[in-house]
Amino acid sequence: MPRPAPDTIAFTVDGLEVNAPAGMMLADAAKLGDVEIPVFCYEPKLGEPVGACRMCLVEIEGIPKLQTACSTPVRDGMAVNTQTARVKEAQEAVLEFLLINHPLDCPVCDKGGECPLQDITYGWGPGRSRFIEPKRHFVKPLALSPLIAIDRERCILCYRCVRFSQEISEDYQLVLQERGADSYVSTFDGHPYVAPFSGNIIELCPVGALTSQPYRFRARPWDIEGSGSVCLGCPGQCNVEYTVRDERVLRVLSRQHDGVDDGWLCDRGRFGYQSFHVDERVTHPLVRVDGELIPVAWDRALDEAAAALGGAGSDSGALAGGKTTNEEGWLLQELFRGALGSPNVDSRADGMLPRELHAALHAPALQATVPDLEFAHAVLVLDCEPVDDQPSLDLRIRKGVRRNGVKLAVASSRPSSLDANAAAVVRYAPGAGEAFCAALNGALGESDAGPGSATRKGVVEELAEAAGADADAVRALAAVLADAGEDVVIVYGERLTHGARGEDAARALLNVCGRVAEAGHDGAGLLEVPAGTNGRGLREVGVLPNAAPGLAPVSPVGLASAELGASAAAGAISALYLLHVDPLRDLPGRATWRAALQRADHVIAHADFLSEGLWEYATIVFPAESYAEKEGTITHPDGRVQRLRPAIARPDAVRAEWNVIADLSKRLGHDVSVLSGAMASARVFEAIPFYAGLTLDELGGRGLRWPARPAAAGWPAADTGPFGLETPPHAPTPNGALRLGTFRSIWAAQEVEVAPALKFLRQRQRAELHPVDAERMGLAHGDRVTVGSNGSRVQATVVLRSGVPEGSVFLEAGIAEESASELDGGGLVEVSPQ
Amino acid sequence: MTGPTILFEDIDERGLNTIDVYRRRGGYESLRKVLTTMQPSEVVDELMASGLRGRGGAGFPSGRKISFIPKVDVDKYLVCNADESEPGTFKDRELMQKSPHMLIEGIVIGAFAAGATKSFIYIRGEYVEQADIIDAAIVEAREAGFLGENILGSGFGLTLHLHRGAGAYICGEETGLLDSLEGKRGNPRLKPPFPANQGLYQGPTVINNVETLATMPHIIKMGGAEYAKIGTETSAGTKLVSVSGNVQRPGNYEIELGISSREIIYGLAGGPPEGRAVKMWFPGGSSSPVLTGDDLDIAYDFNTLAQAKSMLGSGAIIVVDDSVPVVSVALKLAKFYKHESCGKCTPCREGTRWTVSMLERVDQGLATPMDLDIMASVQEQIIGNCLCVLGDAMAMPIGSMVAKFRDEFEAHIEAARARNPWAGEGPPDPDPVLVQGASGA
Ligand SMILES: Cc1cc2nc3c(=O)[nH]c(=O)nc-3n(C[C@H](O)[C@H](O)[C@H](O)COP(=O)(O)O)c2cc1C
Ligand code: SF4
Ligand code: SF4
Ligand code: SF4
Ligand code: FES
Repeated sequence: MPRPAPDTIAFTVDGLEVNAPAGMMLADAAKLGDVEIPVFCYEPKLGEPVGACRMCLVEIEGIPKLQTACSTPVRDGMAVNTQTARVKEAQEAVLEFLLINHPLDCPVCDKGGECPLQDITYGWGPGRSRFIEPKRHFVKPLALSPLIAIDRERCILCYRCVRFSQEISEDYQLVLQERGADSYVSTFDGHPYVAPFSGNIIELCPVGALTSQPYRFRARPWDIEGSGSVCLGCPGQCNVEYTVRDERVLRVLSRQHDGVDDGWLCDRGRFGYQSFHVDERVTHPLVRVDGELIPVAWDRALDEAAAALGGAGSDSGALAGGKTTNEEGWLLQELFRGALGSPNVDSRADGMLPRELHAALHAPALQATVPDLEFAHAVLVLDCEPVDDQPSLDLRIRKGVRRNGVKLAVASSRPSSLDANAAAVVRYAPGAGEAFCAALNGALGESDAGPGSATRKGVVEELAEAAGADADAVRALAAVLADAGEDVVIVYGERLTHGARGEDAARALLNVCGRVAEAGHDGAGLLEVPAGTNGRGLREVGVLPNAAPGLAPVSPVGLASAELGASAAAGAISALYLLHVDPLRDLPGRATWRAALQRADHVIAHADFLSEGLWEYATIVFPAESYAEKEGTITHPDGRVQRLRPAIARPDAVRAEWNVIADLSKRLGHDVSVLSGAMASARVFEAIPFYAGLTLDELGGRGLRWPARPAAAGWPAADTGPFGLETPPHAPTPNGALRLGTFRSIWAAQEVEVAPALKFLRQRQRAELHPVDAERMGLAHGDRVTVGSNGSRVQATVVLRSGVPEGSVFLEAGIAEESASELDGGGLVEVSPQ
Repeated sequence: MTGPTILFEDIDERGLNTIDVYRRRGGYESLRKVLTTMQPSEVVDELMASGLRGRGGAGFPSGRKISFIPKVDVDKYLVCNADESEPGTFKDRELMQKSPHMLIEGIVIGAFAAGATKSFIYIRGEYVEQADIIDAAIVEAREAGFLGENILGSGFGLTLHLHRGAGAYICGEETGLLDSLEGKRGNPRLKPPFPANQGLYQGPTVINNVETLATMPHIIKMGGAEYAKIGTETSAGTKLVSVSGNVQRPGNYEIELGISSREIIYGLAGGPPEGRAVKMWFPGGSSSPVLTGDDLDIAYDFNTLAQAKSMLGSGAIIVVDDSVPVVSVALKLAKFYKHESCGKCTPCREGTRWTVSMLERVDQGLATPMDLDIMASVQEQIIGNCLCVLGDAMAMPIGSMVAKFRDEFEAHIEAARARNPWAGEGPPDPDPVLVQGASGA
């Protein structure tokens, strides 16, 4: 969809000639002439203006009534006055009206000092009020949710929070109750407002009516400093500003970046900061002595680690979790490849993808960006659930559908919260992503005019059946993509390319992409949702068993993570190095990994918390930095290299991790000569041809998309298809058992378990079932069940969801207890009542 | 003379609410003429020629309104505004109760002219009996082929649904009505976009009052030019007026626009009871600025009333005689608007509440004449600054009362202060009943 490129027009504001894009709202256009028009309800992020507060009234020559600047687009030749007596009178009137029911308890209000109502009252208010009657009273404050307190007396009824809930996050929970002066903000049924993005309303509220429970009364604006960085919670990499007081992060705000986050944060990113400062955090190096991890001095920990690694030599392997920076990842592979001669480094969870396919899937010519989702003709969400896997994308997709009429198609095994917004939905069996892509490819081929591309009759039926999907639904989805227009974006989850057949799935996906999106066409292509925050960056800096930095070929090829686990379990690996990853928590195949960790002589980990696997099996633990302490770079799924900047000092004995890895490398005889964080970044930019010439300064606070720079020519050439496809395997037939699907919810995260404010969201295992299956098994919503396969089992509570495909059950992975990774994914499981 | 009767010609005919009687009286013949012999643009031309202006309050030329509907190929809608909640207004009720088919016929004609294929009647929730009558009439009309697909073989089709409101005055404001009809909270929308471009479900929408639509069959029957001869040059036709208050014969009357107001209030409605004089009157519903006994001879039409700084509005005349204190009228009125303010925009939400508080103090002897200046200024601060005109609808009449009856207000304040032992002690403590939300979030 072509993006609007408005003409520039000229208008005057208070006699000053100003140029502005045509159609820009006056409230914004006036700023271009350094004229501020006060606003309360206007917030462009929320979509169309509502004109509720009436604060922005201005005089436009030729129009008798005052007009709201927030909803009046500028036109050429318009003459606007914001300083006339009439305007002043109206501004004073609106402020007087707003304040008559406002408690003016600024001295005890969290917003005091950073409150638009205060500021605008000082700037534009009448100075004194003529109102002597009793004010409206409410009981206050009340808990709108465990995270948000509401003070209804302070509310100026600007509608922002309600509009956010109704039109941005579309959780439809907040409403205005009652009418007129009795109106108040509430959830419809009085239940707490718990939703993935609820915290945004705190930032939106122009007064102290909505305050953060964890931040309440922790600081005043003159006690704090803001420090910009990037959230490492998920691949969304939202830009944040930490509110810091005395080396503690007390709050996280959005640092709006339209190319990344659109100015929103999810609640995990917003409230997870408490995890930086909890007692459970590891802040000293630990070494296991007599079965127990005890704090030791750095030298001892480093010496022991160096000895262990040196002894293991190439019988070692390293895994990097998603929160690893590019610098740490690059240093890690230097340590392993350079110092130990071990090719075993990986950052992917499951299986090896040929280097050429990595190159094809992420080729700059096929790379779609986050803003593309907003302006595409059609978006296919494939094998991922944005709200869980990369929450910020969920809002962006909703925005495109709501505001620009983007046609949305959803294909997944687990029902998606985007289904309701989609023009076409296909459900397929868990793990059958490859078969679905092949079926979709076939269905798209049927409608292609070219004789060569026509699909054999019945093929779509066969492939759809293999995927456990409905062939007509696949065709309907294909039609949505084919008919929408040339800008088609496919958002797919990395999990599609995981596992033994990930390679085939990637080829099928590339074929689909080739049919709906033209390579090199701006606004169309692929956008991956990596499994880890910096998944893309880690692959690019060479944390792959089959690719060196810059995705260059390597030989020999190392073991991928699952093979490494199996090899270690078989006793062939002496030292395992775990950088921000606990295999028992983060990787599939728990049983194998348990054996691997038990069997390896040395398990060296960088961690901020001792999750189960580390607590039980790590032999050496280096304290990891929290992400507010880190410096370095990470790479967004759309290729934007972003810079992390430390907001607070590292507590206790915590050292920079780049420094720890570089130190180990040096001790092992491979001196990488990295003496500062900036040097580490410089080395990364040097080592990777397509990052060539980047500097930290150039990245600045907004980052840079490398695929849009000339150095992108350094990306390895790749064949993007079409490929011949093998017949995909048939999804297993349940025959009384159920197919197991897994997912990881937005709340399945360490932060949620340790941050006091988020603990209430901690996930307990639930088995999502279709009501028909449940009835057949005599199960009801809320029943406790055991889900088992091959001797391993997990306890769960039944949750009935009619969107779950019949014959499947979904369990959550990545949680502390009863995680689905206990079972074999993709296989069949038995569900039995307890 | 009150002129010709058009809408009320047969109004008291027994059984007029049934399709048989209505048709025997010539009903649905205009529709037949429209659908079998006219193009939509010709219907619009007739409406333009008739000079018909909206009967719902704003008096906008009805033909022009339909002509604004874009001629694009999307679903278009016609919505009949039967919310009739303006205090003093009860004309649509009688029309709908006694002659529902006249309205339905008007709706089909209006929809044909606008190219709308879906239509709705939004009726106020309290009109239970009228709603049942309309529902029955819709069934009859559908069975007789005047609604549904391919009406009278013309190829034109129209669906009509009745939607019952839940008792909010603001849902009579056209955009609040649309939101309510869409199942949302009934809040007015920002304009532009106007309903003609983006109305119901974002589609082009014509919204007309019951009386406006019910007049359309008659215009078709007599021809626009003929209709325009009735009334005055700028206020063509007849108008239903609802006369209430201190009059001896309250009720609905059909008058020719332009006759003298005295003729309506005294001639038709019998004037105030013996021995009483008209103190003030609302010419066009409770939202219109009041006129006094001195204004009784002005002509009752859109322009003359506007020149007198009031308005014809919905055509509801409320007469107040000299036995009623102006303060009690003002207070009752302000309370109504405070209760009905939707709360979306600041001046109306807060200004109506403030005005009520001030008037209560006036009434309780807790005010001083200075408060009248504040009250007048608050009304000025509301007028023209709101999102919809409900705020103005309180501020204009209250402002006019304070201006025209200042002496009486001041005397009231003095008398009340003399009665009230607490006078001068400042405002009373907050009423604990006002403390809300005690039960949780
Ligand atoms: C607060 C408010 C209430 C209104 N109530 C009604 C009503 O009950 N019935 C009505 O026909 N118009 C009402 N209107 C006027 C409508 O907004 C609209 O102008 C009218 O329905 C248009 O129809 P007409 O052109 O046929 O008059 C109201 C307007 C406002 C501001
Ligand atoms: S709570 Fe805040 S954001 Fe919500 S309506 Fe009130 S003032 Fe606006
Ligand atoms: S969406 Fe992801 S990056 Fe953004 S705030 Fe949430 S966890 Fe952080
Ligand atoms: S003027 Fe009153 S009724 Fe109209 S939008 Fe504003 S608050 Fe609502
Ligand atoms: S900012 Fe324009 S009306 Fe609120």
